Amino acid sequence: MSDLGAGRDDQTVPQGALGDAGPPDVDLGKVWISVAAQVWRREPGWLERVAGRALRSPGLARALVTTPSLLLGWVIASAVVLAAGAGATLGTGTPYVALFAPAVAAAGIAYAYGPGIDPAWELSQSMAVSDRMVLLVRALAVFGLNAALGLAASAASGAAAAVTFGWLVPMTAVCALALAAATVTRSANVGVAAGLSGWAITVLGVRAGGGGLTAAVASVSLVLPYLLFAAVCAAVAWYATRIPRGMS
Amino acid sequence: MNIELTDLTRRFGRTQAVDGVSLKTGAGVFGLLGPNGAGKTSLLRIIATVLPPTSGRIRLLGRDPGAYGQRKEIRRRLGYLPQNLGYYPGFTVAEFVEYFALLKEMPPGRVPRAVAAAIEHVGLGDRARAKLRTLSGGMLRRAGIAQAIVNEPELLLLDEPTAGLDPEQRMAFRALLRDLGQRATVIVSTHLVEDVGAACTEVALMDAGKIVFYGTPDELTARGEGTGAAGDAPLERGYSAVLAAARSVTAARS
Repeated sequence: MSDLGAGRDDQTVPQGALGDAGPPDVDLGKVWISVAAQVWRREPGWLERVAGRALRSPGLARALVTTPSLLLGWVIASAVVLAAGAGATLGTGTPYVALFAPAVAAAGIAYAYGPGIDPAWELSQSMAVSDRMVLLVRALAVFGLNAALGLAASAASGAAAAVTFGWLVPMTAVCALALAAATVTRSANVGVAAGLSGWAITVLGVRAGGGGLTAAVASVSLVLPYLLFAAVCAAVAWYATRIPRGMS
Repeated sequence: MNIELTDLTRRFGRTQAVDGVSLKTGAGVFGLLGPNGAGKTSLLRIIATVLPPTSGRIRLLGRDPGAYGQRKEIRRRLGYLPQNLGYYPGFTVAEFVEYFALLKEMPPGRVPRAVAAAIEHVGLGDRARAKLRTLSGGMLRRAGIAQAIVNEPELLLLDEPTAGLDPEQRMAFRALLRDLGQRATVIVSTHLVEDVGAACTEVALMDAGKIVFYGTPDELTARGEGTGAAGDAPLERGYSAVLAAARSVTAARS
């Protein structure tokens, strides 16, 4: 920090100091900053550029592409789990993809944003781009990606159409539960635990009630309860991330 | 006035972290002193619009942070360095500063130059493309300062900014503070009394959530003269004398 406080921005070469060969009044500080700006400039990837245009916010787009559960390693892990589910479905006839997909998506949603997940979370809260907006965009993106992966795995496993699309509704409910738990407790791990245990209890409970292993995803009578539950959880998450009142 | 606080309080359960703080300040470097647990960080977080007060009135840069649109405007003009700033280990210094420039909604065309200027200001130009995980604690702190000043803030809040800096870096940082204080309100929370004496035009001393002294560093120094208060430097003796007086008053009341 030797030049801290006497930034190169302020260093002006006096007229004639460079001799006859040098241009007069060259502000070397400004020249250096311009050069550094070009050298250190980061070129956004295509996804970030598209997101920036769609969201009309380069900051929100940057926050989106830094989502922990959208990083390549996480996406590959999710794809591997669903591929294994597709393989198991083909081998046994039991639609494991439909059972795995909501759980995988719930973990991704819980790990989308929050303290412990974003190292500079407190600082992020003081930014003009609201943390609630960042959470919303990240959660929707994670949900969309996991839905696409799940649908691809379902299609590959040759499951019946009712089962293939049936898990999208419970997946919404399980994701909403994970999001609500993660935001209320400010812990991604609690969110994952709530999502996974909630889904396991639902599947086993419906099975114990006389349905098969796939009843939790194939039963039409459960669609409305799932949607109502998802709405309640979304409201809880919305409240937990509300804009603080009483500032003035 | 860039900061106007009136009877501000903040309570965490049974703990009164901020207790009836009133303060008005304009451009300049303002030092916030006090022992650990005095309420400095809570007060700074309230001013950073991160933590809502339990009661009281607050206006920042002439705006009400309770209103969404005005809070957004304040945040665009705000620089904040939290006490415990987390870092993205895979980011380079330039990416880290750029990330927060974008989250502050700086015009994208201005960002690369602003990032370069901020990094140069904190003397990290030679490490601009280094990953944060490879930097020392002092360098990380300077990267944190760079993100705080990248938007040329009108209101700059620094919580223990010199933690981890070596003496040479601290001297350079004080020079930067004086420079920034000519056009912005800079609040520096610290327990290092010498930082305040060297860089601040005004100082407030907090204890048990209250402001027990408000004045210039010279006035704080004068409070310690002839008191026999503990301290190696005149300003430290003033600090000790004011704290001792405030605590004796509190003890007498209770």
